[in-house]
Amino acid sequence: MTLVNKVANKEVNKTAGTKVDGRPGIGNGDAVLQVEDLAVEFTTYGGIVSAVRGVSFNVKTGRTLAIVGESGCGKSVTVQSIMGLIPMPPGRITSGRARLKGYDILGRKTVNGKDIRGSEIGMIFQDPMTSLNPTMTIGDQIAEPLQIHRGYSYRRAFARAIELLELSRIPEAASRARQYPFEFSGGMLQRAMIAMAIACKPSILIADEPSTALDVTIQAQILDLMQDLQKETGMAIILITHDLGVVARMADDVAVMYAGKIVEQGTVDDVFYRSAHPYTLGLKKAMPNNDPARQHTLQPIEGSPPDLFAPPPGCAYCPRCPYSMHVCVPNDPEPVVVGEGHYSRCWLHHETAPEKPPELFFGRENSRPPESAND
Amino acid sequence: MTDLVQAVELTRHFDLGRGRIVHAVDGVSLSIAENEIVGLVGESGSGKSTFGKTLLGLLPKTSGQVIYRGETLPQKYRPRDFRRMAHKMQMIFQDPYSSLNPRMTVGEIIAEGLRLHDVVKSSEVKEKVAHWLRLVGLHSDHMSRYPHEFSGGQRQRIGVARALILEPEFVVCDEPISALDVSVQAQVINLLDELKQRLGLTLLFIAHDLSMVRYVSDRMAVMYLGSLVETGPADELYFAPKHPYTEILVASNPEPDPEAERRRASTTITGEIPSPVNVPAGCRFASRCPRVMDICHRDTPQLLPLRDLDRHVACHLFADQQTAAEAGVGRKTG
Amino acid sequence: MTFAPADFTRLNQKQDVELITRPSLSYWQDSWLRLKANRRALVSLYIIAAILFFTLAGPWLWPVNPAAQDLDQISQPPGAERTAIVVPPYQPWDGTALVQEAGSRDTEGQEAERPETGFRLAAPATTQGVRLSWEPLPGATGHRVYRNLFPVGEELAFGVPVAEYFTNDALFFEDRLDVQPGTYYYSLVGLDERGNLLEVFETIAVDVRRVITVEEALEKGLVAQAAALEPGDEVELALHPLGTDYIGRDMLARLMAGARVSLFIGIGAPVLFVLFGVIFGSISGFVGGRVDAFMMRFADFVVALPFLLFMILFKIAFGIGPGESGVMPMLVALVVLMWPATARLVRGQILQIREQGYIGASQLLGARTNYLILRHMIPNTMGVILVTITFSIPNAIFIEAFLSFIGMGVAPPTPSWGSMSNEGIRNMLTTPHELIFPAIMISLTVLAFNLLGDGLRDALDARMRNTE
Repeated sequence: MTLVNKVANKEVNKTAGTKVDGRPGIGNGDAVLQVEDLAVEFTTYGGIVSAVRGVSFNVKTGRTLAIVGESGCGKSVTVQSIMGLIPMPPGRITSGRARLKGYDILGRKTVNGKDIRGSEIGMIFQDPMTSLNPTMTIGDQIAEPLQIHRGYSYRRAFARAIELLELSRIPEAASRARQYPFEFSGGMLQRAMIAMAIACKPSILIADEPSTALDVTIQAQILDLMQDLQKETGMAIILITHDLGVVARMADDVAVMYAGKIVEQGTVDDVFYRSAHPYTLGLKKAMPNNDPARQHTLQPIEGSPPDLFAPPPGCAYCPRCPYSMHVCVPNDPEPVVVGEGHYSRCWLHHETAPEKPPELFFGRENSRPPESAND
Repeated sequence: MTDLVQAVELTRHFDLGRGRIVHAVDGVSLSIAENEIVGLVGESGSGKSTFGKTLLGLLPKTSGQVIYRGETLPQKYRPRDFRRMAHKMQMIFQDPYSSLNPRMTVGEIIAEGLRLHDVVKSSEVKEKVAHWLRLVGLHSDHMSRYPHEFSGGQRQRIGVARALILEPEFVVCDEPISALDVSVQAQVINLLDELKQRLGLTLLFIAHDLSMVRYVSDRMAVMYLGSLVETGPADELYFAPKHPYTEILVASNPEPDPEAERRRASTTITGEIPSPVNVPAGCRFASRCPRVMDICHRDTPQLLPLRDLDRHVACHLFADQQTAAEAGVGRKTG
Repeated sequence: MTFAPADFTRLNQKQDVELITRPSLSYWQDSWLRLKANRRALVSLYIIAAILFFTLAGPWLWPVNPAAQDLDQISQPPGAERTAIVVPPYQPWDGTALVQEAGSRDTEGQEAERPETGFRLAAPATTQGVRLSWEPLPGATGHRVYRNLFPVGEELAFGVPVAEYFTNDALFFEDRLDVQPGTYYYSLVGLDERGNLLEVFETIAVDVRRVITVEEALEKGLVAQAAALEPGDEVELALHPLGTDYIGRDMLARLMAGARVSLFIGIGAPVLFVLFGVIFGSISGFVGGRVDAFMMRFADFVVALPFLLFMILFKIAFGIGPGESGVMPMLVALVVLMWPATARLVRGQILQIREQGYIGASQLLGARTNYLILRHMIPNTMGVILVTITFSIPNAIFIEAFLSFIGMGVAPPTPSWGSMSNEGIRNMLTTPHELIFPAIMISLTVLAFNLLGDGLRDALDARMRNTE
């Protein structure tokens, strides 16, 4: 998909805020957010860290894209740079673009006069306490964006805030709205955060590890809530997580990130059942499976992720990869399409590669995909 | 199989002052047999970590006993008691960042047990540390490096080497993998498994990741708000939970399998784990239980064995299947 | 890109996945690198090293007694003219004989200009004395002589009266009152019979030259032998690179001696009270419970004492006997009153560290309490302790200077930068160097320690450390 987008968008008007392809509409399944070749660097004490190194993906209306990866792989930085939440300096977006409904948004605060943050894209974080003002009541904090972005009166905004809290399944919402963040438990705060994020009916909800700090029972409640809200509003969700279980439950599409790049992308079934990248396969083998029919011993991925102070010239996964070849060390693989909307960055998919490990997916006929795969 | 460690009605309260008492661990009885891995699961605030620390004497017991090979251990440890027990019980800590002293080299950290006990001649300490570094998959020349130079998984393996260098029999693993990335969790799990085989360890594996605990453990115990609600063989307990809380816990556990997740019904549990301060009478789970009965609010259910099963459940739903005979001890011996 | 099939063969040698390529750095090495990268902190470190060198090695390089008075050079700014002309010993003057006492090659020009009548110099003006003579002013039955450092001007500011005559019998005056090299303005004002001022006056400007007798030169060690000197020769007086104070003491020597006192208090007191605070705080934090509560309430009590008031009371209570400098009472007072901040900080750190995993691990391995404190807790609070000391030093220096400045600190004649400022401020307008030099030293030291403290805090702060 992304390869195709790169070609298709060569002709686009580069002026920010102007319509790109005539039809900005958002029917179900249309790409509401397109990110191309995004690269972010941080200048730190020890040198320059290339946190994100050329990431492209599309987010479609009514669907959930999960970005999976280990800590430090750049998954949070990716969405933060789209939201303009990267402190600059030390951060720097070195290349790429992000288009929301066809409008360039990278480095901008508004599109078509509407604020991107809060109004067009809602965001929830791992630790809701850090993103809430401890001196304001929950209700006021939810009402605030409505007053700012939608021009509601305070009374109307507060009433809407109570509705939103009810929508987020907070019991006794009317009295809860008058409480302060410290009076809420972790799960309740996350619900309040969701209520705040969806207050202005954003077209995208970005959830950065929304359930990592929560217990499994609460996590299940929050994930259910997000799914139900998505069904009701048709918003797209970008879910950032390291938990493959959460991905399996929530995602329609999955992007697996490793060392600042997306190494495999496809639908959730593609990635889980037809894994085409050794890293995805490694993650699956490293996790226990609760299906009694498919028991296996855990196979850890040896070693640690690379230091992004000096990213390796070739495939970043090569030192830990059980299939590593001579070609992997100096050459970085390009994404190879293995199925419709499913691609993998791995030299094993190169036509010259002699060995095709049976655990990995190499397309239907174990060959290069037909041209029609590029829609 | 004989019991190596036995907790009998182990209780640990924290006094917050003004009459407020946190019932972190409330009358927990659990037996751990030799060479067994017992997994202890529960939500945060359930007291599972406090239980592990109280078991090892890091926290004094409010009441109850810990029996190790038939010997009742002191209620409150003095440094002397720690010294005596150091060769028998050790612990692997949750946070690989705060559990290693940043001012000490890895060699000093691993050698700490040896130096505190003079069990090895000082000339051989280095050799032994190098041996253990290799055993946990690191290089012997990592000895002179400092913890901050290692990744989380590597640090956790250093913590394993430190805990095991005195070759204890019983090790409490307090969420040893929950701070690690998925790709390296298995490194630590496999290492523990390998060392267990090699050294004949007995482990209490505390975690909140149900899948991992099921994978690792022989037996599993589920803790809720300071007390055990269910114990039993790991697979049985996971695939056929009895207690409503266990059921919900398993149902909430996301699995890395999209098909299975699509089949999963949406969650039934509401509410959150209540505060462990001044717990009311009756079943502690009553406030969230989907199958709550009147009796649940009055009587506290005891952890009792189920007839014909190697299982213990603390729930009034199973009163007719339980015998009151073996009350108190969390494992059916025999 | 095209690749040969050979490129796609497996890497047969397994790569070392546990390799760590970054160089190994201990906490202190790493901190030192961070400090070195901080330019301000590094410059401050150099300044502090220079100040310490100045204080410790200075007195060997400049072995001048800081208490010795050079009465020839009082309140001399740095770089002042310090040549003196050798003259015969002083001879009393009866006002009549206008002998060429100081007659020399140099003074001849001046002599030629000397008026023969009116208010005039009877002899060349020297630091031995200014000899004036005059004819009676019209209508005056007596005269008064004034001396001023500044021109009389329109408002007729004559200056200080130095002589008064109610008759016209004596028409001369020799001024020997603390005559310093420079220009003086003498005024002669007529008096009537009742001693009231008349409106007639005359003013002359007198340039006084510095003179020295052979004996004096020998006594001060300016020359080796008397024979080497002839009247009219020039000799150089003792060198004072930073000038002298109001009683002729060498400023440089006094700054060095003052630095010893100021830095002794400024470094000694923080080291002592931080040490006490560390011991107090770590006991309180480690023991915990009631002991902790009691110890912390006591610390609160000490904090609640009004600091300056108690400082002054301490000084008075201790008292300063004759010959005592007042350094020790000040040190004790600082230590007694300033430890609680450190104690609190260290207690907080210890409480935090006590919860760390490595303490539990060490306990389980059988570590005793003092091992835990010495091996685990103190090393991990060292950074905080070091930063505290560094920030306490400028504070203590400033308190010392302040107390000495208001006269409650170090007692004269012991020099300290504060007491030197106190003495200097009296002559601030005429000889500002007496105030400026000690003030610069105080400011520079305080600034350098503060910037170094900032740098140290950044360098040692674990939060900024890359944990991976």
